[in-house]
Amino acid sequence: MEFNRSNIRRFRSPTVPRRLIGGLVLAVVALFVLFSTWFTIDPEEAGIVLRFGRFVRQVPSGLHIKLPYPIESVQKVPVERQLKEEFGFRTEEVGVGTSSTYSSEDLTAESLMLTGDLNVAVVEWTAQFRVRDPYKYLFKVRNVRNTFRDMNETVMREVIGDRSVNEVLTVGRQEIAAEVEQRLQQLCDQYETGIKVEQIVLQDVNPPDAVKPSFNEVNQAQQEREKMINQARADYNQIIPRAKGQAEQALEQAQGFATDRVNRARGDAELFVQVHAAYQRAPEVTRRRMYLETMSRVYPKVKKKIVLDDSVKGVLPLLSLENQTKVTP
Amino acid sequence: MRSIKTIVIVIVALLALIVLSNTLFTVKETEQVVLTQFGKPVGRPITTPGLKMKVPFVQKVHAFEKRFLEWDGDPNQIPTKDKRFIWVDSYARWRISDPLLFFQRLHDERGAQSRLDDILDGETRNTIAKHELIDLVRSTNRPFVVAEDVAELSQPEAAERVEFGREKLTEEVLQNARRRTGDLGIEILDFRIKQINYVDEVRQEVYARMISERKRIAERYRSEGAGEAARIAGERERELRVIESEAYRAAQEIRGKADAEAADIYAAAYNRDPEFYRFLKSLGTLEESFDEETMLLLSTEGDLLRYLNGAR
Repeated sequence: MEFNRSNIRRFRSPTVPRRLIGGLVLAVVALFVLFSTWFTIDPEEAGIVLRFGRFVRQVPSGLHIKLPYPIESVQKVPVERQLKEEFGFRTEEVGVGTSSTYSSEDLTAESLMLTGDLNVAVVEWTAQFRVRDPYKYLFKVRNVRNTFRDMNETVMREVIGDRSVNEVLTVGRQEIAAEVEQRLQQLCDQYETGIKVEQIVLQDVNPPDAVKPSFNEVNQAQQEREKMINQARADYNQIIPRAKGQAEQALEQAQGFATDRVNRARGDAELFVQVHAAYQRAPEVTRRRMYLETMSRVYPKVKKKIVLDDSVKGVLPLLSLENQTKVTP
Repeated sequence: MRSIKTIVIVIVALLALIVLSNTLFTVKETEQVVLTQFGKPVGRPITTPGLKMKVPFVQKVHAFEKRFLEWDGDPNQIPTKDKRFIWVDSYARWRISDPLLFFQRLHDERGAQSRLDDILDGETRNTIAKHELIDLVRSTNRPFVVAEDVAELSQPEAAERVEFGREKLTEEVLQNARRRTGDLGIEILDFRIKQINYVDEVRQEVYARMISERKRIAERYRSEGAGEAARIAGERERELRVIESEAYRAAQEIRGKADAEAADIYAAAYNRDPEFYRFLKSLGTLEESFDEETMLLLSTEGDLLRYLNGAR
């Protein structure tokens, strides 16, 4: 201490002028002030300049100057960056080229909600948004991100609460996202958050875990139904076209028969007409001739012939009729 | 004596600085300020931001938030009018509308939060207990959009009508709470229900109901499938019969017509001389029916052998 003090005294000796010390202090202050007069804003940001705490101007990205430190200060807001809030799940690490990892935290309180038919659905979603109005974002609402989360949960539940569980799980997804987006934007404007809702993305929409198997069962039953119907259709298709073909075949056959029958009749008739015409020209002779001709064809075929004459009686007992099949008088 | 002079100058400058720094103060964009003089509020609250002045040392600055503030309720277990126990988690937006009154009545934000807890929790409880669960869940009587394939399968649930709806209920809470916070220097801007969930036992019941409903739908699908399959099988049977019988009928008709035509043709021909026809046919039959097994007993009286006894 002693040594130090004596040292300072020596330093303050008239050899070093006091002006120099004052000048040095001034220079340091001037430098400090100078360095606090310019600032840069990144491309994705906007700068809000405050003079004694009061908002004076908003500047875009680039190099800017302002009044030195105690007078003006700058706050930066990422207006171009798309921000994101997740509900019902948390991405822990975004995978680039690989799958992302998700927190295993139980967030069902966030995602479990009542549907309009008093059932329960688990809805997970993300809200993508941007800061549209940095002034409002900074100065109108305290803890904007938290407020925004609350709004999300409220609006999603309002929308889900007006739909049946079936609608939520199946047909309604698109519509739900659209309606939440619209209502959320309304609420954001009402609360003067300065937030622009870019998109609401419904992630997983599921029945609660305990109920899942029975939902799967419904799907399965639906499959079964299709299968049964298809099987029946297959049977139908296997039998009906064949029957139609067979019916066609039967018709063709009948047609063939008919043609055959008529043609034959015509032929027979023609034959008769011709023969008859010839016969009419000489009935007696033709008749006899035909008879005799026929007989002359028939006789040779018959092996057993017995000729009876009126003068010969009592031949019958000699005949053995056992083997005879036909008797013609 | 130069050094004494310097010291005096420095001291005066320092004093001036201290006085100045106690005179000037900044009000941020997010703040509003109440000045007090020996603990007693003076003047109107300062609500615009910027550099301001006050009487040094005597007056004190009390800064309050100007932004919208959040009130986040604790999840509460509340029974509804239809005796269903639910957890309700709500939030509200509020702001300090009259800093002076706020300062006098609540002193700081913590005081305000605890007062809001009392008021809003109470009003929430009152309102919910007066209404049925469905009024809390739904906002409108919007009909459910039903996927065609599940149509009419889950109708009973949809029948419950909403008399008030969530918006009216939260509006009711908001109005009642506003009435009670009017003289506290704060304004509640909005009150909303964030989460509604069944208490555990009820949730299990609901799950059981959902499961049984799903099972019902699944059964319905299965029986629909079986029914449709049976219908198709029946249709198949019927069509088969139709096809076969129609083919039979048409075939028979064709045959019948052909037979009739043939008969007409025969009749037309043979009618020219039935006697001759009989003669021809007999000859034909004779020729066809005689073979080597046939035994002929021939009389010499007959035409054929007439000349056997001599050319009489």
